[in-house]
Amino acid sequence: MRKYVPKDNVQKKAYYTDRFHVVPSVPRAEVTDAHFASVVTALGNDVKEAYIEIGQLVVHIDPTRNFDVMKTLKETCGYTQCSEQSAVDYLAKDNEFELFWQLLNITEAKRVRVVCRLANGAAIESIEPLFKSANFAEREMFDMFGIKVNNHPYLKRIIMPDDWEGHPLLKTYPLHGDEFASWYEVDKIFGKEYRDIIGPENRDPGKVDIKDTKRFSRIGYEVPFGAEYNADEEVPVEYSETALVNYNKKTSKQLDERR
Amino acid sequence: MQVSNKLTPFFENLNFERDDNTMVINFGPQHPSAHGQLRLILELDGEQVVKATPDIGYLHRGIEKMAENMTYNEFLPTTDRLDYIASTSNNYAYALAVEKLLDIEAPRRAQAIRTMLLELNRIISHLFFVATHALDVGAMSVFLYAFREREFAMDLMEDYCGARLTHSAVRIGGVPLDLPAGWLENAAAFCDKVDYEVEHTYGALLNENRIWKMRLEDVGVISAEDALSWGCTGPMLRGSGVKWDIRKEEPYELYPELDFDIPTSDRCDSYGRFMIYMEEMKQSTRIIRQLIPLYKETEPQLMAHSPQYISAPKEEIMTQNYALMQHFVLVTQGMRPPKGEVYVPTESPKGELGFYIKSEGEPYAYRLKCRAPSFFHTGLLQNLLVGTYLADVVTIIGTTNIVFGEVDR
Amino acid sequence: MAQHQVNYASSAGLPIALTSVDKLVNWGRSNSLWPLTYGLACCAIEMMASGASRYDFDRMGTIFRASPRQADVMILAGTLSKKHSEFARRLYDQMTEPKWVISMGSCANTGGMFNTYATVQGVDRIIPVDIYLPGCAPRPETLQYAMMMLQKKIRRESADMKKNTKQDLTTQTGKRARLI
Repeated sequence: MRKYVPKDNVQKKAYYTDRFHVVPSVPRAEVTDAHFASVVTALGNDVKEAYIEIGQLVVHIDPTRNFDVMKTLKETCGYTQCSEQSAVDYLAKDNEFELFWQLLNITEAKRVRVVCRLANGAAIESIEPLFKSANFAEREMFDMFGIKVNNHPYLKRIIMPDDWEGHPLLKTYPLHGDEFASWYEVDKIFGKEYRDIIGPENRDPGKVDIKDTKRFSRIGYEVPFGAEYNADEEVPVEYSETALVNYNKKTSKQLDERR
Repeated sequence: MQVSNKLTPFFENLNFERDDNTMVINFGPQHPSAHGQLRLILELDGEQVVKATPDIGYLHRGIEKMAENMTYNEFLPTTDRLDYIASTSNNYAYALAVEKLLDIEAPRRAQAIRTMLLELNRIISHLFFVATHALDVGAMSVFLYAFREREFAMDLMEDYCGARLTHSAVRIGGVPLDLPAGWLENAAAFCDKVDYEVEHTYGALLNENRIWKMRLEDVGVISAEDALSWGCTGPMLRGSGVKWDIRKEEPYELYPELDFDIPTSDRCDSYGRFMIYMEEMKQSTRIIRQLIPLYKETEPQLMAHSPQYISAPKEEIMTQNYALMQHFVLVTQGMRPPKGEVYVPTESPKGELGFYIKSEGEPYAYRLKCRAPSFFHTGLLQNLLVGTYLADVVTIIGTTNIVFGEVDR
Repeated sequence: MAQHQVNYASSAGLPIALTSVDKLVNWGRSNSLWPLTYGLACCAIEMMASGASRYDFDRMGTIFRASPRQADVMILAGTLSKKHSEFARRLYDQMTEPKWVISMGSCANTGGMFNTYATVQGVDRIIPVDIYLPGCAPRPETLQYAMMMLQKKIRRESADMKKNTKQDLTTQTGKRARLI
């Protein structure tokens, strides 16, 4: 049977997992801290779930309420900086993205992470009017995941070129790129007709081309730099003889190929 | 009129004949003072910038995608290439994030070494800033002097880890090696040297230099509110009078035991930020000096003891069967941290460098996001450059101290 | 008025040196290689270090130029991303002949550790390369050695550049092509 290759998540998988391995979770604590408790109270009904994970408050909200939650956090609770915002791809599992905003309160030295789940294809409201740092961060999110942002002043690809196809950080996007990515620079500079002149990319870091006498030297005998490959010149490789075994003589212990 | 075809491509796509009397200038992506591969599209009215559009991504290498396809230990050397001017601070930020996720703590000697290396990297990075900033503004000699001292710091790093630029000097759970013999004496001598040079060479050449002050004062002014809103951290934020340093506010490693000051400036301009960089170098040498006796008191343990995640020391692997088995599993499969997410900020020389890691209990991170300070400082340029003159653009790019390895990742 | 006392008959006194045009031109070319400051990534820092105080590139007649029109050598120092590749080719096209290319660091040679969608897997896909310089990042001494190797290569070339054999690319179909 052909080996099954999952199409919806092409990231590397562990080749072996113990059958009895139970994945532990990072402990989630109740909100006991006075400041964090006041944040949860200020947000009121918007909070779906709130807990403390590794010293930071995590608040789960509804994706339609993100602007109002950010506004409350900024104006009431003193979270004046949005350090980071991005998304996590859960399309394969739930057909959803998980979006997070990492906010910082400078006077209290506290951090809050606001998390929401956004359905595939839905758009999120921009928080650029509140935090200018979201300008670049939301563009990056759009570029990398294809998540549309409403009311963003300049929603355009930021990191990949404008004519790029696909969103690289999706789990369906292969690490080595798709067909379009692998020919991008050739198509752009020389044109598609140059594809077979330049040839495909070498993605194998250990590749040794026996016919290439420019980059690799030959084992066993020498040929001049850049000489044409000639199969007749092939000389068997001679090994030095050791006290235990003579590798030049065929013995039953040497295997020509895997059994 | 040039005719473009596929073999002699003609990339001019900017229109110079516009109705609104502004001229469009393309700056970069290969510009000697763009600090890498920044492309700015500037609209000029006379010599004044009307609109600036930073275009980034020319050094995008897919580091976050690589993190999803590598085990946690495999990914560590890749973090070197983020902010390649101070590699150890990236290694450390990543290692700390994973350690927080695993809930382990490095032993005290490792912490002392890490703190020393972090401060040494801060000096390396700040020296580089002073050198290139001065070169961009036009003071060539400072570049040569600052690179001379930077080479001494590189020698110290090389003594410790063997590499000049891409250190990988920190491991998850500790450090790989102890300090070599004589390193502390060299470090102390280096601190004296830096203190002297900051005061008597760069300080004497630049601090009160009339041209330097004219080029830097009141250039790139940003208010504290704007700086916070645009996501500025590090010297960019402290230059606007906000006393925020993660080493003090959310301390890690040995910083709570150390005595150092956080320089701030109310000037809000490039000159204020330059003075902060100069002062921070002195504070870093002060920290390294305090760490030398602290290091000497510590026990010689370098890696945290946590057999589930971290290989035992080499002697144990060679002598004890269980340690060998554990090591084999960790090398072939990688560690599997618990399910959860973590965001850990650290104060890198450029600002807040944080790693967000989402773990699903697999040996590969489900999502890794690097919060790079330079990314947000680049975003700030579209606000900061408006209204300034073309000649000041280079000064402002220099003062933000952006590094494109971490902007584009 | 001073009289020049030159004994034209003795061996060292002759103010004339006999050489071929090739050697003279190559002597000039190889001893004033002006590279383009083309820092792309981490290797650019080592390139700067080799231009700075300790390693002092100037003593080899190497002065960094910011404009491709004034440069002879393009040192591609660092990772070349796909987004940047067209600019790299454009800068190469803007350089005047004769021109040489040093690919500095593993990323520029083969893509190196960045075996991803966004990285050009070796700049020789778009630009003919003369010297490949391994290392991540190569030390400044290595760059200086590469420069010396390039000088050696130039001295062996014919001055009219006709025999300038650049990187041949073997295609899958078996025919050989040459990047212009």
